[in-house]
Amino acid sequence: MPTPNESFRKVASSTTSAERSTSLPTSPRGLRWTSAILAFLFAFPAIYLVWRNITSDTDPFGVLFTRRTLDPLRRTLVLAVLVSATTAVVGTVLAWLTTRTDLPGQRLFRTLLPLPLVYPTFVGAAAFIRTLSPGGIASDLLGTIGLDGTIELRGLFGAWLVLSLFTYPYVYLPVAARLRRLPGSIEESARLLGDTSWNAFRRVVLPQISSAIATGSLLVFLYAVSDFGAVQLMRYDTLTRAIWTTRLNNQQVSLALSLVLLVLAGTSVGAERFLERRFTNPPSTKVGRPLQFRLGRAKVASFGLVALVVFLGLIAPAVALGDWAITGIIRDANGQRDLFLSASDIWVPARNTALASAITAFAAVLAVLPIAQLVTRHRSRVGEVANGVVISTFALPGLLVALAVFFWTGEFAWARENLRGTLLILIFAYVVRFGSQAMGSTQVAVASVPPRLDDAARMLGASRVRRFLTIDIPLMTPGLLAGAGLVLLATMKELPITLFVAPFDFPTLTTKTFTNFEDAFIAEAGIYALVLVALSALLTWLLVLRRSDHRF
Amino acid sequence: MPSRFKLSATATLAALALLGASCGSSAGDAPTVEGAAADIVSGECVGANGETVTIYSGRTENLIQPILDAFVCETGVDVQVRWGDSADLALLLAEEGDASDADVFLSSSPGPVGFLEGEGLLGTLDADTLELVSADNQASAGTWIGFSGRKRVLVYNLDNVADGELPASVLDLTDPAYADRVAIPATNGSFEDWFTVFRDTEGNDVATQWINDMAANGARTYPNNRSIVEAVGRGEIDMGLVNHYYNYQESAARGDEHRAENFDFAAEDIGSLLIITAATKLESSEHSDTANALIQYLLTPGAQTYFTQETFEYPLAAGIDPADVLPPLVALEIGSVDFDSLGGGFADTERIIQESGILNN
Repeated sequence: MPTPNESFRKVASSTTSAERSTSLPTSPRGLRWTSAILAFLFAFPAIYLVWRNITSDTDPFGVLFTRRTLDPLRRTLVLAVLVSATTAVVGTVLAWLTTRTDLPGQRLFRTLLPLPLVYPTFVGAAAFIRTLSPGGIASDLLGTIGLDGTIELRGLFGAWLVLSLFTYPYVYLPVAARLRRLPGSIEESARLLGDTSWNAFRRVVLPQISSAIATGSLLVFLYAVSDFGAVQLMRYDTLTRAIWTTRLNNQQVSLALSLVLLVLAGTSVGAERFLERRFTNPPSTKVGRPLQFRLGRAKVASFGLVALVVFLGLIAPAVALGDWAITGIIRDANGQRDLFLSASDIWVPARNTALASAITAFAAVLAVLPIAQLVTRHRSRVGEVANGVVISTFALPGLLVALAVFFWTGEFAWARENLRGTLLILIFAYVVRFGSQAMGSTQVAVASVPPRLDDAARMLGASRVRRFLTIDIPLMTPGLLAGAGLVLLATMKELPITLFVAPFDFPTLTTKTFTNFEDAFIAEAGIYALVLVALSALLTWLLVLRRSDHRF
Repeated sequence: MPSRFKLSATATLAALALLGASCGSSAGDAPTVEGAAADIVSGECVGANGETVTIYSGRTENLIQPILDAFVCETGVDVQVRWGDSADLALLLAEEGDASDADVFLSSSPGPVGFLEGEGLLGTLDADTLELVSADNQASAGTWIGFSGRKRVLVYNLDNVADGELPASVLDLTDPAYADRVAIPATNGSFEDWFTVFRDTEGNDVATQWINDMAANGARTYPNNRSIVEAVGRGEIDMGLVNHYYNYQESAARGDEHRAENFDFAAEDIGSLLIITAATKLESSEHSDTANALIQYLLTPGAQTYFTQETFEYPLAAGIDPADVLPPLVALEIGSVDFDSLGGGFADTERIIQESGILNN
């Protein structure tokens, strides 16, 4: 005889699967065509890559099965798996603690926790390395209390730590958005029927958020696969580093390795979709407040955990940057060396950064919305392919996207005259590079609209547009904003596309941070990076958090 | 209503003013220059003449902008620049081919220029430009010209390395005495260029053996010269192989806190090679004369003096002396290795370095 809990779970899952099957009718032709065209646009770097592999007569298979490729490939996989597993756990725990418990300081944490995403890895990794090595602020502080604070961050451990700290928000944000919209009633019933809170979480909550965890972890995986800044500074020889070092002198190898990267990305997206189909993606019915869990004695430990993540991922790097900035400002004030920047030097890059990233964030959500609808609401091969294209493009290095833009705009005279060096093509390149970041949250958002609401409205005579505006959009808003937020933060810190595709004389905070860093103008780099962090905090709050929270 | 109108009008004006200020003074009046740029200018500023020259610059903005400002002032030519890593810019230029906007490419090392030459994208510089620099420091075909030099040195930490410890030759760094103490920018363009010349002059076997031994001796890879100088200055690592000029900049930025100095290997040692930064004109340039004028401007006394006094590089134009802080160039005969002759040597360099395993150290 089944326990009350088991039979309860069956009821819960049978409702959702029933709803699911009714929600997958054949897709409307307009949506299919829109998605197909969008997928084609998103595929332009991949098409370029394949084309260049063919015209350059590369030998991807020959290159693949050499030690030169297999060792870096193995390191890439080890790193990416470790980082995505870590962030899946950390991101989920943080999301649960800040949405479903009586953790103190939740509102503040919800604003701070997404922010580590804003550090470009070359800044974040450098901040950690310099802070911990001799002469760094952490090393000095530990030294004054008699500890040897010299920790050499490097290799797999260093890359894992830095990437985990700066990418867990990919899991945290969608899971938190999902948890906020999840009805507490089922969980509550489970508890009433005698489940412990852990069991209730495992049996009731976890299945309902697993698709959000999976989409977030996939992004982390692809991020780790494509990252260059952290592995370069931590001296961990991965595939991206091999692509980078061979790019000029062994172009054929570089192109072939990039193709390997793309295939790896495509495979992992396919695997995630396969798993995804096994997860339930229940609509949220929003019955009252979600269940709040009392942490009790675990409150202090939980608070400590969340605070530790905020400290390591956000505050410690900011302190390191502040240390560089202040040292430079003091030297400027003492007349030892003038700072190479003034207030107006900061205003223009800050404005450019805000403008380009805000437009990109909303354009990206609009661009992936049709594909997300097709994938989530309909059974469609076009939708699956489009989704795969959008997400796997994220694994391609930014430089490759820039090269693709240069290639296509060089090929077509019309594009050369009208698009090259415009804000439009920059936004387009950004959207292609980061559309993947909005896709997961957008799909979760689409899935959170119960089809029966739409059916009811249709029977009452509401037009498609009206149904979309009055039912879908309000229900989807938190998810869409979470997606936009991810794109926003990613765009703000983007480097290669910004350097090469942007209009002439279009500095951003990231390009300024980078060039000053390269010139050993550490103080200036620190100041630009701090402004970048502050601006992203402001924009995330203004455009995303403030709105997604107020309906909670 | 009037008050609200006034408010919105003020706001609009303010916004326009900000926009105007940020767009800069683009046309019309003669520009003014100040600071480092003013020292470079030899004559008077002239108004914009409507011409534009487009530069792809692998030299970073902070260090070359004053020269470009001075050029704009003296010629009235508008300059637009795409900044980036030299190798990345070379790839982009190759991808654009004849459709490129670029007129001039400034490279921080010879490798990317050699790559573009192989792609057949380089034009020929005018004779009156080429004659400003000795034949050793330009392409024999006249396709590119060196405009400043950086010498390879060993930067070392003043507290952790004793005077007598430093070797006469870069080849000695494989000795156990230097185990785990040497930093190498193994993926950096200027290091790859140096290693390619090393292979060419000392023989492939010697060079390959050296990098393998360095890897076995625990030499560590850093992303670039700058990060090595900075790390040595803090004592994170004892010494490193770098271009000479970063240490002067780091000292200028951090003063006495920076505990590092340059050490020169013996004059005839391969470790003392002079690496040039190169300027070239694209074959597809539609502003060939302006491009030539800009490259020529880099070799004027004002610009060359700036390069040596402000960025501590070696001037290459005849008649300009290196800054007093720089050790005199005794190794010029090695420094002037013919980069032309190296051809496809860079591909092997990259492979040998990768196979040594030093990238994981």
